[in-house]
Amino acid sequence: MRKALALAAGLLALAQPCLAEEGYSLPAYTAAYEPRTVDERGLWMDADDYEKLWAGSPTRINDKELNDYVRRVLCQTVGRDRCASVRIYILDIPAFNASMTANGAMSVWSGLLLRVRSEAELGAVLGHEFAHFELRHSLKGFQNRRTTSDVMAWIEVLGSIAQRDVRDAQLSLIGSAYRFDRQQEKDADLLGLRYLGASSYPSRAASEVWQHLMEEADATAAGRKIRRQQRYQAGFFDTHPTELSRADYLLAEAMKIGDTGDAGAKSHYAAIAGQLPRFLASQTKLNDFAGTEYILSGIAATTGWTGELLQARADMFATRANPRDLITATTLYLNAIDAGYRRPETLRGLGLSLIKSGQREEGARYLSEYLEAVPGAPDAKLISFYLPQPTGNPK
Amino acid sequence: MRKIAIAGWLLFATVTPASAHKLIEPGPVIGIAKGSFSATATSTWNRLQQKEGKFQEIWTIDGDHLNRVIFLGGVPDGEPLLTERDKKRDPLPKFAAQMLLPDIPVLFERTYRSYYGTPVVEVGAMEPVTFAGEQGIRFEYGYTDTQDEVERRGEAFAVVRNKQLFMIAFEAPKLYYFERDVGSFHALARSVKLAR
Repeated sequence: MRKALALAAGLLALAQPCLAEEGYSLPAYTAAYEPRTVDERGLWMDADDYEKLWAGSPTRINDKELNDYVRRVLCQTVGRDRCASVRIYILDIPAFNASMTANGAMSVWSGLLLRVRSEAELGAVLGHEFAHFELRHSLKGFQNRRTTSDVMAWIEVLGSIAQRDVRDAQLSLIGSAYRFDRQQEKDADLLGLRYLGASSYPSRAASEVWQHLMEEADATAAGRKIRRQQRYQAGFFDTHPTELSRADYLLAEAMKIGDTGDAGAKSHYAAIAGQLPRFLASQTKLNDFAGTEYILSGIAATTGWTGELLQARADMFATRANPRDLITATTLYLNAIDAGYRRPETLRGLGLSLIKSGQREEGARYLSEYLEAVPGAPDAKLISFYLPQPTGNPK
Repeated sequence: MRKIAIAGWLLFATVTPASAHKLIEPGPVIGIAKGSFSATATSTWNRLQQKEGKFQEIWTIDGDHLNRVIFLGGVPDGEPLLTERDKKRDPLPKFAAQMLLPDIPVLFERTYRSYYGTPVVEVGAMEPVTFAGEQGIRFEYGYTDTQDEVERRGEAFAVVRNKQLFMIAFEAPKLYYFERDVGSFHALARSVKLAR
């Protein structure tokens, strides 16, 4: 009943002139919406190109179980009628992001799936992206920018030629049409929240997403010995509200809805379990020790320190490889084995850590076990080099 | 601001003739990567002016997107392979003198992931080899450049001598170019010597 009231309040709010005043006319949701104007048709053509890029991308994760899971969470958040037309593309990119094009294609990055701590948090982000789509923000942004920011567009083009980090890559839709402005972000946040309010998920999960992102950024900054990067007020050119203000107004709105429910934390981790080692490997190979530690502890808070998490943490220490790190790495690999996680990569990591700490014999023992487990390993010849040999002098 | 600087740099780059690239004729070549290597070229290469780090030198046949040989010479303990764009906010992994041979492909992979922002880097076969007269490693790798979504293959040889990393790698699009030019790379790699 409470939910129904909240939904009714949400729908009422949507129909209020506050959105219309800013020039949005919220279209009635039609499943088979087709572009209506020249601008919109152009935007859809671009979007079709992006979608082809995602569909054929080598980073795409085709695992059916994972794709079904993400679709289920989207549908459970925005409702079956709305989610039916969305095509979801999961990309193996270890950063927090999801995006949606004007034609209804949604990309979800693996870094997002690794960071959200429940179905509800995932639903909050997917719902937010879907809200941009439903509010037709890309069209609005495209029309604004076409008249006012040709110069900026050129700088974008020139800037994007130079190789930059992953956020500037083709996959991430640098196309300026998809840069939403701050008001649009806030509108999408609030509509996203209404989806959550109407769903079985607690709507305060939306605020938690931003709280965790802030904490992760703080951990990264502390690890790199730099000042915390949280800003409390958005600058003039910022396209997004600050994370703090998002966490703040989303929580305030969620309190108004006042719903509670099962966020689905355990079920989230159960659903991504099959891909978790792959996601963790991509994350630990980034050069962000403290940020990754924060992510791992966040997962462990729900699942406990499982073998996968211990392995990932051991790999981090083994890679940093200060003398004390090698002791930690060795211990963590052994803990993983104790937890029943005796994978070839565990044996390999443990063996090499022992050898680096000067315990050659013990190390060689685990490395031989690794080679027995994966006889055709691509690094078999190199690893054999560290086993006792009649001749040869391993380094 | 940074974007304006990049735009300015690009404009500057277009009006300045690229005279600094140098043709490498077949024959002995000395002083590669600030004197770290010498080699004997058996075919014609072009040495590119631009490089991504102070220990690096890039050679190409048709342009660095189509085929390139990377020399990384004399990377000392505690230094990254390439120049960090932002030491504090975007640091690169550092070479450590006590690294074992299997750590070198990991260092290389992590550098590529951070520097090129590509999530798709895979290291394949690894084996111990003698390179430039020293005990070293040969490894194969592949990566997809997120700028052009082209899958590239690579092959590298590396050794650690006097606490410094010396490495030579060849990379080219998996389609056509790698197979076509890897032979020239092997010929070059066989002739490489480390400067004493």
